[in-house]
Amino acid sequence: MKHLLLSIALSLHASKRYNAIKKYLRVLLTGTGNPYKKYLDAFIIFLIITSVFILVYEVTNSVPLWLDYYDFYFVSFVFLIEYILRLWVYNDISKYIVDEYRESQFLHRDFELWSIIKHALKEKFNYMITPAAIVDLLAIFPAYRPLRVLRIFVLFRVLKLLRYTKSINQFVEVLKNKRFELLTLLFLLFFIVTTAGIALYVLEERINPEVNSLFDAIYWSLVTISTVGYGDIAPVTDAGRTISMLTIISGIAMISFATSVIVSAFSERLSEIKESRIIEQINKSRSFLIICGYGQMAKMFFRQKKDHIDDYVILDKNLKKVEEARKDGYNVVQEDASRYETLSKFNVEHSHITILCLSGSDVENIYITLNAKSISRKIKVIARVNDTNIVSKFKYAGADHLLMPNEVVNTMIRTAITQPTMYKAIHAILTGKSLARIDEIHVHEADALVGKSISDLDFKVNKLLFIGLQRNGEFLFNPPSTEIIQNHDIMLLMGRKISLEYFRNQHEGGY
Amino acid sequence: MSERSILLFGYGSHGKFIAKGLHEDGFRLKIVESNKESYLQAKEDGFIEVEHIDVTNDSLLEVLNPQNYEQLVCVMEDEHLNVFLTLSLRSLFEESYILAISDSIHTTKKLKMAGANKIIDLYEVSANKIYNILKRPVATKLLEGFVSGKAGISFKEILIPKNSFLEGKTTDEIDFSPFGVLLIGMIDEKLGHTFVFITAGINHELNHGDTIVCIGPKESLNAFAEEIKKNGE
Repeated sequence: MKHLLLSIALSLHASKRYNAIKKYLRVLLTGTGNPYKKYLDAFIIFLIITSVFILVYEVTNSVPLWLDYYDFYFVSFVFLIEYILRLWVYNDISKYIVDEYRESQFLHRDFELWSIIKHALKEKFNYMITPAAIVDLLAIFPAYRPLRVLRIFVLFRVLKLLRYTKSINQFVEVLKNKRFELLTLLFLLFFIVTTAGIALYVLEERINPEVNSLFDAIYWSLVTISTVGYGDIAPVTDAGRTISMLTIISGIAMISFATSVIVSAFSERLSEIKESRIIEQINKSRSFLIICGYGQMAKMFFRQKKDHIDDYVILDKNLKKVEEARKDGYNVVQEDASRYETLSKFNVEHSHITILCLSGSDVENIYITLNAKSISRKIKVIARVNDTNIVSKFKYAGADHLLMPNEVVNTMIRTAITQPTMYKAIHAILTGKSLARIDEIHVHEADALVGKSISDLDFKVNKLLFIGLQRNGEFLFNPPSTEIIQNHDIMLLMGRKISLEYFRNQHEGGY
Repeated sequence: MSERSILLFGYGSHGKFIAKGLHEDGFRLKIVESNKESYLQAKEDGFIEVEHIDVTNDSLLEVLNPQNYEQLVCVMEDEHLNVFLTLSLRSLFEESYILAISDSIHTTKKLKMAGANKIIDLYEVSANKIYNILKRPVATKLLEGFVSGKAGISFKEILIPKNSFLEGKTTDEIDFSPFGVLLIGMIDEKLGHTFVFITAGINHELNHGDTIVCIGPKESLNAFAEEIKKNGE
């Protein structure tokens, strides 16, 4: 037996396929990275909703038999499979066994199979008694038709939905932080309710026809203290009414206490919750910007083209700046971008991330650059450099683009003085405000442009000026008209916005 | 050429660079500083016409005769002083062309109110550049080349002389491609010295005295300019 289990464990542990399947299922069920997860989730939610719908519909109508079967067998079966899979992927028994076996081999001690299996099973059991697992288990049991009370089990299927709502998890998380206050409150409530209940029971059991048992009295006291006051049971003696009054007053105090505890818990954590939402949201987009530091530069950046920047998040460690950005209506997270944990939260693998280091401090910008590059070389970094002497350091750190505000502005001023016409032209082109914009047209495979020669495209008709094209990182200025446009070329065109848009619509195939 | 003279206020981080650049481009330059250290620095860097005065004193400013200069450039390190200076210059010399640097949104507004003719906002320019790097990398690289003059392709303003072969022709008629340059716009004197982009879609008739702006490799541009002149003679 022992040997059989061991050999099974060893072969399972060695099997690549087994591990791959398990890993895949684990990500599918519990992770976030799997692209098919949303379909699975949608399917489960559909099952839950139909199941509950059948329950409600059945109260006054008769349902066809196949719907009953669907609810009874199919939904339950799917939930059973889901439950088993979740239990299965929770931990790896085979791995425990193999590890223990190797350890015992290494230390020349006896191989203790049963204790390790016990340990693994205990972990599984610990999983089974988590609220989510209990709900899953109860959701399997179908509505047992003959016994009406058991139909309420269907409601556990509704509870299964909680797994898919982040807000509930966050709510629970918030309340957990206030565990001490809430427990104190609960204890106090229990104490008052029982005391008042017992008092009423003792005082009125014989006089009041409504109070027949201690349960009735305690029910009354809870209804009173919560200020719900159904009025089905009411005290009739003066002593009972006195207790009632005291209960009501303590009830008001307790409710206000509970409310304030919950509200304060939320207000403490609200910004954190919002921030995690922002990060989650941004991680879904294929390419986005991380702007580090909300200073003058960042503000100006947003002022440039507010409508064009969609996918971005601002990081700043200064609370004042974060609040300012929030007031200005931007997505902002109070985090230190130079910390590894901060940047690794982002979806580095699947998205094109560009980081803008715009803080006023060079040291910080370098640090952020290094941090980003150490997480993934794929992250593109555009860094602001204030001191031109440390440009080389930024280059070592791996920044893709450097921006030297002083240098840029100095060159601008010089150009403005020495070549005013050129300055005007460049300024107009750069800001894109006027009649002349320079735009890039990225040629894709599907575009009608591919394979055409430049003479085929009559730029003059569209009032466009063809400046050149970039191919494989090399810029060809004003190439001869026989040049054929290839896939992945970037065409540089100058013209009015409408001309450029018209040209685009005409020649670009759908994405 | 008395026209190409600049009165530069401030020899700080910006002033230094600008002074050097203007000097290279052959401008007549006068530097005014209120800070003793910067003043000495300017002297040390070899500038002869350097004045050390209190720029808040109007009578001292008047002595400088700013009206003799083509442009007044205010790039003082202290932004408050810069705004104040701009205001003083404007109130004293209504005709002068004042260019000022600004390093915040608020200062830009104040400079505008103070009456600067052109304001270059450090953050606006930089922020714009970031945006362009992100959205139009190729175009940005090309334009950067124009400004720095390092890359092969640059801008050139060419004045059309009398009897040039271009005279009387419209912009659509002329084929620039044999010269290896592209016409991107022109300054039309008839329309009052305004810059017109070729892509505006108006077919201009070229006259002598007009300036055309072309882009292309430097050699082609120079050759083209020569070609025009040759025909003119």
